[in-house]
Amino acid sequence: MLSEREILSVLKMLRSEHLDVRTITMGISLFDCADDNVKSFTGNVREKILRHAGNLVAVCEGIAVKYGIPVVNKRISVSPIAVAGCRFDAGEMVEVARALDGAAKEIGVDFIGGFGALVEKGFTRGDRALIEAIPEALAVTERVCCSINTASTRAGINMDAVYLMGRTIKAAAERTKDADGVGCAKICVFANIPQDVPFMAGAYLGVGEPDVVVNVGVSGPGVVKKAIDRARESQPDMDLGRLSEIIKRTAFKVTRVGELIGRQAADALGVPFGVVDLSLAPTPDVGDSVGEIFQSMGLPNIGAPGSTALLALLNDAVKKGGIFASSYVGGLSGAFIPVSEDSNIAEAAREGKLTLEKLEAMTSVCSVGLDMVAIPGDTTAETIAGIIADEMAIGVINSKATAARLIPVPGKKAGEKAFFGGLLGEATIMPVSNAGKPGDFITLGGRIPAPVQSFKN
Amino acid sequence: MKKIIISVLGHDRPGIIAAVSGVLMRSRCNIEDVSQTILQTEFVGAFLASRPEECGEDELLAALRDALEPMGLSVLIKPVEEHGEWASPESEPFVITTMGPDRLGLVSGITEVLARFKGNITNLKAVFRGGDNPEHNVMIYEVDIPVAIDQHAFRAALQERAGELGLSASLQHRDIFEMIHKV
Repeated sequence: MLSEREILSVLKMLRSEHLDVRTITMGISLFDCADDNVKSFTGNVREKILRHAGNLVAVCEGIAVKYGIPVVNKRISVSPIAVAGCRFDAGEMVEVARALDGAAKEIGVDFIGGFGALVEKGFTRGDRALIEAIPEALAVTERVCCSINTASTRAGINMDAVYLMGRTIKAAAERTKDADGVGCAKICVFANIPQDVPFMAGAYLGVGEPDVVVNVGVSGPGVVKKAIDRARESQPDMDLGRLSEIIKRTAFKVTRVGELIGRQAADALGVPFGVVDLSLAPTPDVGDSVGEIFQSMGLPNIGAPGSTALLALLNDAVKKGGIFASSYVGGLSGAFIPVSEDSNIAEAAREGKLTLEKLEAMTSVCSVGLDMVAIPGDTTAETIAGIIADEMAIGVINSKATAARLIPVPGKKAGEKAFFGGLLGEATIMPVSNAGKPGDFITLGGRIPAPVQSFKN
Repeated sequence: MKKIIISVLGHDRPGIIAAVSGVLMRSRCNIEDVSQTILQTEFVGAFLASRPEECGEDELLAALRDALEPMGLSVLIKPVEEHGEWASPESEPFVITTMGPDRLGLVSGITEVLARFKGNITNLKAVFRGGDNPEHNVMIYEVDIPVAIDQHAFRAALQERAGELGLSASLQHRDIFEMIHKV
């Protein structure tokens, strides 16, 4: 028998604390679609996506109704296109992006990820073609997302790729300048990219993954914040050890929801269940913010001294609670701090209370990286590459995933606003300090060797 | 051995269960299931027990009345039928929760919809304390919903009825509560 308290607490989480499943992402391998002819390839891709994911949206919505848990996004991740389409040139890669976009629209998913490459140790022909195609591909499509892995703890940092991505991001911004460079909001540059991320823009299906699989991304910053608020209200002297326990318990509950809904979706779709990604993923809605958690935990705002320690506590407690709640945990799993997608973080950035440098420091203890950061449009490719390289170094040395999703907003300066729309939100452009005349560190190129902590054999 | 169900009702006080179970023990009746609750000031208890042949039903009832009536309690005994008229169809467990101001006919209104769609209530808790706080006027029904019915029509009918009654209602598969709260 369920207790009244148990039932009412679930309803409260749903009605006023934004408890939901943020995404059910079906991973579809495209390796068996490979063909020398781009028309045949895109035909195979469309057929396979429609065959497996044709009823993804309807199934997810049915499950959402049955359990009373919203499934906010339904998405697709595919094999890295640079591998599956390694014979194609840049023009053909754009055709592939169009086909992915068309399939996504046909089945009604809002994003399709995997227009990407893994280049941490070097480039293949397909990798180069894909990266060359990115600016055009993201300008002519709406739903395609792109992730490029330029570094790993085992391989080091491919600085040629980092610089190339700096130039590619500039080009993608320019190509979508009428929409504040929104193309760049769909490019993630990664270190140590996980193979099973369900969240966009980084989602792709790794080469060691099953043919088709369902991965789930949970959310729940609002639930965590309210749990902290209630605990502190009932016991004002509650210390950080006790608060981390509250976060852990809350993360457990949130993750259990993801586990149940994900398994139900996988069963209904007749495919294996992959992982739950335990991330605290905010949205621009008030009450669904990671930034607000910082205030509930006693800091004036995210970015204030103490923020890195607080984020370390939060991220760790979320993982501990989540790992107990799910048999298979993967993806990024931690707290996201996407500047434009979280209205509280965006506000701290607007007021100058959260700087790019502090954000970078915080990414050493969180799960993603510099996420959805709008920077001045005149930031050079070399400076962007420098920011990416720093972020890659944090990931490589700490053996964790980090990423940079930077948007140099064409024609706009620090302090002005960029509007990306929808879940991508809006952001005040953050200044990039010390971005004067670049030296030649970035253009030296080559590969920064793998760090000593990679030698585990 | 025959199965019997005994119900006991009356103003709550210490010693009710002790009195009932004492009589049953002396009559060699073995208790198999017990459920009791208190509604505001009133005790409601149900005891499912097996009765040996040598213990007559009238004799047992008389013994229970002797013990319970001085405490102001009513008692009823009924034999348990081995095969009832209603057999449970294949069903899935759901939880219906309603919130909204108290008024006449809320339980009747919701349960009419459940009965119409052959939903069987397995547990019901309704609390009406008045006032504006929705959590003070709550009905929680645990219901087995037959798999064969039109789920969409049932959901729509329930929401329509809740709207007519001024209630907000949710209908969720029970597993979601189990998953969140039980390890």
